[in-house]
Amino acid sequence: MNILAIDTSCDETAIAIVKERKVLVNLIYSQILLHRKWGGVVPSIAKRAHEQRIDFLINEAVKRFKKDFPNKKIDTVAVTQGPGLAVALEVGIKKSKELAKKHQLKLINVNHLEGHIYSPFVQNRHSNPNIEFNFPYLVLIASGGHTELVIFKDHLNYQIIGETIDDAAGEALDKAGKLLGLGYPGGPVIEKLAEKVNNQDFYRFPRPIISSDNLNFSFSGLKTSFFYFLKKLSSEEKVKNLYLLASSFQEAVFDSLIKKTEKAIFQTKINRLLLVGGVANNLYLRKRFRQLAKKINGQVFFPPFKYLNGDNAAMIGVVASFKAKKNLFVDNIENLDRIPRMKLA
Amino acid sequence: MKILKTQSNNLSEIIKETVKILTAGGLVVFPSDTVYGALVDAQNEQAVKKLITFKNRPPGKPISVFVSDFHMIKNLVYFDKNQEKILKEILPGCFTVVLKSKGKVSHLLESEKKTLGLRLINYQPIIDLVKNFGKPITATSANLGGKKPHYSIGSLLKQLPNYKKKLIDLIVDAGKLPRNKPSTVVDISFPEIKVLRRGDFEFLKNQEEYISQSENQTKEIAKKMIKKLDFHRLSKPLTIIIEGELGVGKTIFVKGLAEYFEIENIISPSFVIFYEYLITKGKFFHFDLYNIDDKEEFKYLKIEKLVKKNNLLVFEWGEKSADFFNLIAKKAKVIYIKMSYLTQKKRKIIIKS
Repeated sequence: MNILAIDTSCDETAIAIVKERKVLVNLIYSQILLHRKWGGVVPSIAKRAHEQRIDFLINEAVKRFKKDFPNKKIDTVAVTQGPGLAVALEVGIKKSKELAKKHQLKLINVNHLEGHIYSPFVQNRHSNPNIEFNFPYLVLIASGGHTELVIFKDHLNYQIIGETIDDAAGEALDKAGKLLGLGYPGGPVIEKLAEKVNNQDFYRFPRPIISSDNLNFSFSGLKTSFFYFLKKLSSEEKVKNLYLLASSFQEAVFDSLIKKTEKAIFQTKINRLLLVGGVANNLYLRKRFRQLAKKINGQVFFPPFKYLNGDNAAMIGVVASFKAKKNLFVDNIENLDRIPRMKLA
Repeated sequence: MKILKTQSNNLSEIIKETVKILTAGGLVVFPSDTVYGALVDAQNEQAVKKLITFKNRPPGKPISVFVSDFHMIKNLVYFDKNQEKILKEILPGCFTVVLKSKGKVSHLLESEKKTLGLRLINYQPIIDLVKNFGKPITATSANLGGKKPHYSIGSLLKQLPNYKKKLIDLIVDAGKLPRNKPSTVVDISFPEIKVLRRGDFEFLKNQEEYISQSENQTKEIAKKMIKKLDFHRLSKPLTIIIEGELGVGKTIFVKGLAEYFEIENIISPSFVIFYEYLITKGKFFHFDLYNIDDKEEFKYLKIEKLVKKNNLLVFEWGEKSADFFNLIAKKAKVIYIKMSYLTQKKRKIIIKS
């Protein structure tokens, strides 16, 4: 079964064609350009942008698919239903309905977070890498919009055991970047600065609910103390200690992520970890997770290709192929609607 | 197309040749601290056009430039004292710093917002080259648009079709480059933001002032307020604008409002701009305009469409466009909340309605 997948959950217009776990075609508009388009990067109010690009991208994807696999046919459409930016999600959903009706295709709705959870298992068209599923997994989803701890029990079977009660981890890093005068998005810049001082935790910013019993995250208290700390510094001091400030802040965020994950490992007795989402791009965080896995005598997996850390449609297509195996198609295409705060079922 | 291989003693010769070709408007593939770059004179429009053709780069996508020192940076972009401090702290280094352009380079290199990316790096051949050339030089990677960058000349030539090769006038081959990652972009060109003027709120007559000692108290203040004022939704859209610095507790206040409607799962919507929740008769929209610095972007949000009777719109504000506020004030009942720090725990909350 060849699935055309669409993800327009935020500011990336993404189209992919997949067969089971194999990604045959993968297109993402703006992710790469976004990094280079430094016109004050914002989650550009994406509706119009998506509308302008989506047809072009679908045509291009189909063209490439037909060229490389002349005898194959697309028989299913998959689309991200949520969570995400409402007006952006709408564009993808509308398009998926159109395609399903026009070409008599089956339609599958996918939760964007499911996509991230499956991202370590996505393969290129040559079936690499080939990681066997070995349930259960403990998943940390950390991105600009999400911070969640999830038990991945079996295919399409999840249980949320912890989540942020205020800001997402990536958002906290971005905001700290902005407070340091480093523009948006600040996360990658902070990673680079921190690396220069060996990720030193010089200032020991507080980790608010790190010692609480539950598995929830909170970064707003950290943000407040960081803001307050910066306020007391002159702008000279601020700049002079830029590297240490960035590093200490990042360390506080990562410490929370690691400690809560560790607590979850202890509670669930699961020692196979998945680290996914945009923050999983951070090589230092990956290193910390490898150390954690070693400590608990377990394993950790990351998305194997860089594009999988960000928003993409490949992972959506892969989830859809597992849903297709269980016959989970959308019954009434007309009624499919976006769910901006969609939860993992 | 000419190829020069670097040796231990021919750097000055290579630089001389490269300067000659750049001066004539040529395109040079040259090693850098990260990958092989495609270099042209950043002030020569024809040369820049040639580069864009070579890269298949869509027009309107900016290209950063190599500079030799802070003096050259000063010539090319605007910055204030604070930005200068950051510049001096992180440069030279593995960053591309973005600032408002003075328009001294080809406009094709600038972003839509007239910003320019600068690279001041720790790589002697490039430093010497730009110094000798005396002008900024484009600092884009020598791969075609959308393709991977190259760490060796062999891999570059393998990717290029013949008609692309013809566009290259000189290749400086320094062998295999160490696999350093591409630079990280730091945008410190703060966009101009119109600060919401005090005067905009003069017509709001009732003012109450509260001191909150804790997050719970902040929530209670919010709950009491909405209990008293929610009736406005029966006849008009109700809008609550919360202003205050980062971390002051704006989202906490919103959580208090939401609890009144028995919504328990409020989280920050910064990343997606807004979340919506169902409440009696209408919808509760929680906006965070934190990431929006551009007037144009307000238009695409289509917020006007949501400003309807029975709806409650809550905006975490920061300091944003007054035009936008005026648009809403015409149609809706507006409550304005100003939150400020007294100490790390204590907050002052002013409610105007």
